[in-house]
Amino acid sequence: MFRRFVISGVLLWCALGASARTRQHYGGTLRVEVQSDPWQEPDGIARRLTMDGLTQIDSAGAVQPALSVRWESQNDDHRWQFWIRNNVQFHDGTPLTADALAASLTQACRYGCAWSKVYTLGQSVVFTSDLPIPDLPAQLAQAKFLISHQDSQGAQQGTGPFFIAGFPGGVMLFTANNDHWGGRPFVDTVEVWPRRSIRDQWMDMSVGRTDVVEVPAEMLRQAPQQHLTVLASRPENLLLLQIASTGSLANPQLRQAIALAVDRSALYNVIFQKQGEITASILPGALTGYAFLFSPERHLNRAHELRSGATPPQLSLAVEGGNPAMQLSAERIVLNLREAGFQVQMAPAGGKIQPDIVLRQIHLETTDPRAALDEMVEATGQRVSINGSDMASIYRAEKEFLATYTVVPLLWLPQAYAIGDRVRDLRFAADGSLLIADAAIEDAK
Amino acid sequence: MSLRQKLLLMFSITVVVAVAAVGWTVSVRVRRVFDRMDQDQTAAFINQFRHEFQHRADDVASKLDRMASSDRLTRMAFDLAQGGDTATYLTEAASLAQEHRLEFLEIVNSDGTIVSSAQWPARFGYKETAVAATDKPPFLKQEELPDGSSATGLFAARSVPVAGSSIYIVGGVNLDNGFLADLPVPASTRVYLYRDGGGTFDAHKLTGAAGGDVHEAVKYQGLIDAARATAKDASGIIFLTARREDSVNATAIPLKGADDDVMAVLLIANSRRDMVEVQKHIRAIAYGVAGGGILFAIAASLWIAAKVSRPIEQLARAAEEVAEGHWNTQVEITSRDEVGTLAASFNHMTSQIVEHRERLVQSERVAAWRELARRLAHELKNPLFPLQLTVENMVRARQLSPSEFDEVFEESATALKSELANLKTIIGRFSDFSKMPKPEEAKIHAKDIIQRVLTLYEPMLQQQEPPIELEAELGEDPLTINADAELLHRALSNLVLNAIDAMPEGGVLTVSGKRRDGVVRIRVADTGKGLTSEECERLFTPYYTTKEYGTGLGLAIVQSVVADHHGTIFVESMPGNGASFVIDLPAADEASA
Repeated sequence: MFRRFVISGVLLWCALGASARTRQHYGGTLRVEVQSDPWQEPDGIARRLTMDGLTQIDSAGAVQPALSVRWESQNDDHRWQFWIRNNVQFHDGTPLTADALAASLTQACRYGCAWSKVYTLGQSVVFTSDLPIPDLPAQLAQAKFLISHQDSQGAQQGTGPFFIAGFPGGVMLFTANNDHWGGRPFVDTVEVWPRRSIRDQWMDMSVGRTDVVEVPAEMLRQAPQQHLTVLASRPENLLLLQIASTGSLANPQLRQAIALAVDRSALYNVIFQKQGEITASILPGALTGYAFLFSPERHLNRAHELRSGATPPQLSLAVEGGNPAMQLSAERIVLNLREAGFQVQMAPAGGKIQPDIVLRQIHLETTDPRAALDEMVEATGQRVSINGSDMASIYRAEKEFLATYTVVPLLWLPQAYAIGDRVRDLRFAADGSLLIADAAIEDAK
Repeated sequence: MSLRQKLLLMFSITVVVAVAAVGWTVSVRVRRVFDRMDQDQTAAFINQFRHEFQHRADDVASKLDRMASSDRLTRMAFDLAQGGDTATYLTEAASLAQEHRLEFLEIVNSDGTIVSSAQWPARFGYKETAVAATDKPPFLKQEELPDGSSATGLFAARSVPVAGSSIYIVGGVNLDNGFLADLPVPASTRVYLYRDGGGTFDAHKLTGAAGGDVHEAVKYQGLIDAARATAKDASGIIFLTARREDSVNATAIPLKGADDDVMAVLLIANSRRDMVEVQKHIRAIAYGVAGGGILFAIAASLWIAAKVSRPIEQLARAAEEVAEGHWNTQVEITSRDEVGTLAASFNHMTSQIVEHRERLVQSERVAAWRELARRLAHELKNPLFPLQLTVENMVRARQLSPSEFDEVFEESATALKSELANLKTIIGRFSDFSKMPKPEEAKIHAKDIIQRVLTLYEPMLQQQEPPIELEAELGEDPLTINADAELLHRALSNLVLNAIDAMPEGGVLTVSGKRRDGVVRIRVADTGKGLTSEECERLFTPYYTTKEYGTGLGLAIVQSVVADHHGTIFVESMPGNGASFVIDLPAADEASA
């Protein structure tokens, strides 16, 4: 009996200890360091902290209510109505109204939107379009449609789980919104240190001065060697070449030659250390299942054949973003193209002359295939026409789009962060954003 | 040019030539000395460069040797030999290059493909051909860079053998202005590097220690192209501007790669400013000395020439005076040399001339008197003989009756009067000849005198049987002379009369007058039977005549008139070709006569 009591007590103590370790605590400050500007549109980390969308994507990839509580499609997806959540306020105390929503969404249309008109109807917002938008709820979960309004001082105010507390010493300070409709975040404050180099971020992580740092895809292999705990998303950043369809490369054969001349395997195997996946599809295979139909193989001879008889003048290739891996990839692509007989020079970023080819990365947020295709194509500044929401239609639309060779997908790369030992329950949303509101600090009591 | 001027010129030329020769010789010597110094300096610098180059090469080689023998590379080689992922070592070359202070470094796999490249990271997987030079001495290589440019570097290649396989490292340093800046260059020397072994010349590829484009780089093109073409050193003088001080002695040294092809050209330019300035300085001194020397030479020449030429000039003047008729001219004997001997000889000569002339004059006088006495005796004898006969007749006639005596007396008296008149005429001519008046000179036009004479005798010419044709050749020139018009008229008249007498069977009388070279020439020509040479010689001798009836004084009078007018007269004649009497008189200014 006594032995049973002792054993039970020991087991109970272990269970309590374990639950003590897993139970989240409120409080503490989460330090996050990033290379870029946290406010950069559309998906800067600060925007996600301070703003909500009409909808959100959960970890399973399903569209969930956010600032809207329900929605309804009418007229064969030509009309959508979203009912607004009640008792929600912007951080400046202004109530969230349908008008404010409509205004914010109208403002967001400068990035391009599928609807032709948005208007309020009581406590709801109505979207109408000439073409059906079956994936509108998924689209509205994208970062570019986060809701905000300009306060009396011209600052953007959101309804998100955190609000801006200040900028002491260049550090962005966010304080938990106790009245957030989704519940108060676990951490009290979030410090975002902007424009920190990867080297400095990792240095801070190694000495415990920060909780979350970025891990570029090409450094994922060496992060564990640096004793970093890595949190990686699915491959949701597409590395692609965007080729101008005017000027020297107006001839689609030349663009095709460029597409065939690129050696993706060298980029994947060496530069990005086998992280992510090689692709010739603008949508990930995990989302569509048909990505394998687009061949990523290099055909140098065919590239020569397509180029022969047409010798364009010297082409310029620029890199979007100052990422060393991107720069190295661009230099490698220049070599590939020279092997195909093209005269290519690296162009400085931000130059006055528009480059002929740009190497860039595009982040995929949505998990809906049709919305994803729209999102990715729109991100390249173009439009795609999709007749139907079935996979075959999406495939045809993508194939038709890629046949213009204005976009050459190269690699899908994951997004990754290294997290400190005291961080708990930090994970990615399905759209690749960090769910900071759900994270907690272990030693916060 | 006078003797003094010639002497002056000769002395001056001699000095000038001597000074110029000295100056030129010194200038040439100076230039040669500087050229030799420059060559020595260049050679020393080239040796120094080669030494520095070799030092750099050894440095690169030793760095690679250390790298090849390091644990890091050995582990990498082992890992790669075991099939390890080359991607892991993508940035290894950059890190190693930085650590070992190399500007170029590539890690190459056993199959010759690049594992990692410091200078062009994107070149992984491409072949590196320089591995063929593994473990050989360092070499020059042209390295392509991502931005499309190329660099010339000093490279070496080493292998890292492990487990039966090897990886290779190919590394080097850039041969750029930094390399040049490390060379110990004298202040007057510039060193440039042309970083291209082939293709057309591009001035932007020539760089100096300070970097950037080289001023007047295109001026070096000839040397650089020569060095590249021949793969040998090329030297020459380059004028960077129009000024000689800005010229340089340049040497282009080709730098060759592993395959002996020219990769780059090292250009060493030694300034010639010092030499040029020394030359200018020497030249200035030379000009100063030469100028002073020439002035001194002129002064000395003047004195020497005067000293040498004065006695000769005196002799020349004395000779002129003798030629003018002052035969008793003497010169001063101022020295005992050849000039003194010449002066003494001159004085002796003139003394002799005077003596001989006096004797000659005496003898001529005696001869003239004898001739005059003979002629006079001859002339007088003719009329005296009839006089004697007439008087003897009259003496014999005293024996006759008074009427016969009267007749004889009348005849004798008439004969006596005629002969006495003849005697008077003869004596009158002699008197005339002895009392030839001095000419009263005035500026006259000889042309007028000639025309008067022709006008006077033209009727006579026409009256001759057969008539004599008259041809007058007188131009527009008035033939102004200083002369006595009457005497000239007499002389010309005499010549015309002689010409008429020489053409008893008619002919052509030609009278001409011309002015030439300050002389008025009057010619009276006939087409008579001409004269022999002996007759020509004696024609102007008094009392010599070819006429049956003549005193022989006409031409003597003409000669006397011409001589009194400071002129000359001569005859040109051949037997059967007539005779031309030519009078030359000094012309006068064209003032109105």
